[in-house]
Amino acid sequence: MKRFLSGDEALAEGVRLARPNIISAYPITPQTVVVEHLSEMVEQGRLDAEYVHVESEHSALSCALGASATGARTFTATSSQGLLYMAEVLSYAAGGRFPIVMMNANRALALPWNIYGDQRDSLALLDHGWIQLYVQDNQEALDAVLMAYALAEDERVSTPVMINLDGFALTHTYETVDIPEPEQADSFLPPYRTKNKFDFEHPVNIGYSAGPEFNRYYKHAAHWDMVDALPVIDEVEKRFAEVFGREYPGVLEEYRCADADRIIVTLGSVAGLVRQVVDDLRNAGEKVGMVRLRYMRPFPAERLVKALLGVGAVGGSSEASGEASGDDNADDGARSKAPAARSIAVLEKDISFGAEGTVFTNVSSALLQAITCAPSASACGIRDICNFVGGLGGDDISYEQVEGIFALLKRRASIVEDPNAALVDASAEASNAASGAAKAAAHTSPLDPRKKVYFLGIDSLEEGGAR
Amino acid sequence: MKQTENLSAALPPTNPAAPLPPKPLTAKTLPDDEFFFGHKGCAGCGGALVVRQTLKVLGPHVICALPAGCMSAVGFNFPQLSFANNAMITPFAATASVLSGIEAGLRAQGIKPEDCTVVGFAGDGGTADIGLQALSGAIDRNDDILYICYDNEAYMNTGIQKSSLTPFGAKTTTTPAGAHVHGCLTRKKNMFQIVAAHDIPYAATASIGYLNDFIKKVQKAATIHGTRYIHVIAPCPTGWGTREDETIDLAKEVADCGLWYLAEFEGSQLCGMPGGKYIVNRRPKEFSSVEAYLRRQGRFKQLDENDVQEVIRERDIAWAWLDDLATGAK
Amino acid sequence: MGEGINGLAFPSFGPERRGAPMRAFTKLSTKTIGDRSAVSLADYVVYLDDTLLGEDWESELKPGGVVLVNSARVFENPQVIALDANGISQEVLGRPIPNTVFLGALSVLMGDEVLPEESLREAIRLYMPAKLHESNFAIVDEARRVTEELVAEKGESAKVATSAEEAQAEAAPAEAAQAGGGCAPEASAPAPPEQNALSPESYAHNTCFEAGYLVAKNAGWRNIRPVIDPEACTGCLQCYLYCPDGTIYKTEHDPNREIPRLAGQLPFSETHKTPAANEHAVAPVAVDYDFCKGCGICAKVCRFNAITMEPESDFGAGQEVR
Repeated sequence: MKRFLSGDEALAEGVRLARPNIISAYPITPQTVVVEHLSEMVEQGRLDAEYVHVESEHSALSCALGASATGARTFTATSSQGLLYMAEVLSYAAGGRFPIVMMNANRALALPWNIYGDQRDSLALLDHGWIQLYVQDNQEALDAVLMAYALAEDERVSTPVMINLDGFALTHTYETVDIPEPEQADSFLPPYRTKNKFDFEHPVNIGYSAGPEFNRYYKHAAHWDMVDALPVIDEVEKRFAEVFGREYPGVLEEYRCADADRIIVTLGSVAGLVRQVVDDLRNAGEKVGMVRLRYMRPFPAERLVKALLGVGAVGGSSEASGEASGDDNADDGARSKAPAARSIAVLEKDISFGAEGTVFTNVSSALLQAITCAPSASACGIRDICNFVGGLGGDDISYEQVEGIFALLKRRASIVEDPNAALVDASAEASNAASGAAKAAAHTSPLDPRKKVYFLGIDSLEEGGAR
Repeated sequence: MKQTENLSAALPPTNPAAPLPPKPLTAKTLPDDEFFFGHKGCAGCGGALVVRQTLKVLGPHVICALPAGCMSAVGFNFPQLSFANNAMITPFAATASVLSGIEAGLRAQGIKPEDCTVVGFAGDGGTADIGLQALSGAIDRNDDILYICYDNEAYMNTGIQKSSLTPFGAKTTTTPAGAHVHGCLTRKKNMFQIVAAHDIPYAATASIGYLNDFIKKVQKAATIHGTRYIHVIAPCPTGWGTREDETIDLAKEVADCGLWYLAEFEGSQLCGMPGGKYIVNRRPKEFSSVEAYLRRQGRFKQLDENDVQEVIRERDIAWAWLDDLATGAK
Repeated sequence: MGEGINGLAFPSFGPERRGAPMRAFTKLSTKTIGDRSAVSLADYVVYLDDTLLGEDWESELKPGGVVLVNSARVFENPQVIALDANGISQEVLGRPIPNTVFLGALSVLMGDEVLPEESLREAIRLYMPAKLHESNFAIVDEARRVTEELVAEKGESAKVATSAEEAQAEAAPAEAAQAGGGCAPEASAPAPPEQNALSPESYAHNTCFEAGYLVAKNAGWRNIRPVIDPEACTGCLQCYLYCPDGTIYKTEHDPNREIPRLAGQLPFSETHKTPAANEHAVAPVAVDYDFCKGCGICAKVCRFNAITMEPESDFGAGQEVR
């Protein structure tokens, strides 16, 4: 059923189709239309949910937290200062692994007071353990709600999802949206089933405290479960396409990148504009392209690097990754080689004062890690960079562990300097599945996130292998 | 809340039928089950006794929520989980809103047992300071929850800092007693009056020194639907500067000397009277010595004669207010 | 501290409350101490309460290390030096505050190069109110005198241990862990749970776990225990009613009645039986000594004087080490 809807309205339709048990939300511009529509749907009986009229954003998410702990499907929505006001509850929801879905209308932060769109609110909260999705149009806003629940409630993922809509540019802008039938939605999204809830037969304690000797295990699990959500996102989108006939390009979208000498990396609704400019410049013979980041968490580092460096740019095989990236540039000689050198710009509605835009930091970090692992990179003085996470929840970082880090850097250096090592290793996925330190070391792809982040006290610092 | 239910809960009842008071539980008839056990509360902890007895009264079909504070800090440290019933930790400010979510979640899914109570235990700071907004919101919605404030008169979990329920003259680490200032200068916020002003269906004050009275109130609260609030004084030997075995004595004495009162408020929903009804459960014929109560505690050591007289003066004003409300209702 | 000696002192924070045993660490070194992690093997371990000195006392002690314990008992083991610190303090201050006694003792064991007597006095002057200076000097003097005697008595082993330590203190951080408060050999931190029952894979993917799962007892907090006189007890149950820890239960006069708890509440599957005061008289109530913290509320609320609080040492706490 086609309707001309604003982003807020489209999103509310998506929520209706997802059939949450509990909606708890507090109004804030430019999210307000969402909660107004949901209230109306509840009143009209079009949505069989409890609408809890909370007195603040902090209570909105807290209420969703309590409801989720009973096994209820829950929804909330907010924006800007409201998101910051509920920020402490974000970590409760993520830490407890409650699959709450929240819509955030991206809006500027005070002062000066400003109700219009930018992305500083959600990007400031990347580290709280939520999956963060940025949509580009109203259809995607609607579809994202159904996919967000499917993803969040997948037992392997069990992580809350924040769906970000640019304030006004999406929330208050009308366009044609195809509203699926409830039967379709039901066949795609079954009712929420979980063991992470209260049980009167077998009572549980939820969200207790866990001291230094246990804390790191929770954070380790949360991290890797989030990383492992990357393939689940693809699974969910594939299933979505089968049911609804609409395809989405996964964690990021590559647009006319293969032979581009200049690429803009961006996210959210401005991607529509960039796409238009790319097309116009392409028509004028210029080799430009775009990467649209759909997910900021989990961060699609591997696919981003493949898109930006070009598959097979430095050694390795270019097989298979063409389809995987789902790029949309078959019409301009997609299979042609990437240029010898390429310029990349990151365009975002964010600034981390005193540093740079946060998206830029994330993109640069992925690139830096890839580039420093190339055999030729040692020429510029750095040949390896990796990450050790320790001291979580008050855990001690020991003398032996610091020694172990230096020893591991030494061993990694010998692997990285292998001239046969591929920068973008097509066999990386295969080696992920393989276990055993020796095998992992032999097949180390410098891009494999498992070989980049080590949890002290959990991951072995022997040989080359984490996890 | 579903719209229809919301309406019926919000409107004053035309034909109120207050539930019959249940047969009072005593030490002999309380169930043997211990639901709060193996916790790491200080020896002689008053708050622990509040949680223990409440859960014994409410039985196994309970879900409780506790914000940051003593009882959550000592109650569940994985893998030592001291709540034998369903229990959950909440953000500090969010006791009431998490309770609302739990209750709504159960009801929306049709999985709430008939005898199920959704109960919160928050300290004085978690209630009267940081949690007040969420509590007010829950009472406004008349969510079907029981909120228990165990009042030990300061932020004890963080090491004895002043809250808005710290009484005048009490020494805390943020209201130190010196030559210039004799401890806390503010008065105890009147939470009983605050929740009553919401026309909450049921509110009560209690003290663990009079456990049978407290147990009776928990029983009564369990039979009422809508938001219920019980404010119970629970001395903290660590923060009050007393011996560990004095907890119960102090809790009795604070009511005997009149610095605390045992009272109830039945809102219009329950009693059918506009504005509700106040009941004083215990009015000592003659107050015991306020000075004796203060002097036995380290936190009041620095009070001089004038300070003590001020405390007595304010006690008398508070009782005049309470008597007035209780008589006015008759 | 001695010339050129750096120090670092920190407690181990935990959720335990007043009365619970706790640990604190001190590191000394001639170098700057960068490692702020807890001490796992110490040159000196000081027990401020002898009931905490359990069977595994050697596990955190370096080879040749020394245990100092606040006790009036005499220990045969040459590595264990007992000082009646409460007694010394009581004598001088009129209160049993053992800390300064052990400072004095450590100054003897570590020697002037690491912990000179004069530095100790300076610390007392700097960190204690003036009115306490003289009495604490006196405590240090007495502690040093007693320690020197003990070292002489203990003979070669203690000497060897001590001198080895002095050498080591020059080269590497010397570490001392202190334990204070409470009693009994129960560790305060939750014991690492069994691997099969609690592997991170089984618990760390969310924060939802079996209610009432207990791995540690709280008996270690107690230094006095309630003892019920079956003759005097009338079964009024006020103690049961007012116990903040729920550790008093109804026996129904059956010495074999198990402590009524919810199923699964005690995963370490202790067999709880009523400890009968004598074979012929079982009081209507009994105390679960695994969890009683010894607050004394039960004795206080008893109107029949049927409960007395008795020192834990009378019941053999901390007697494993000789």
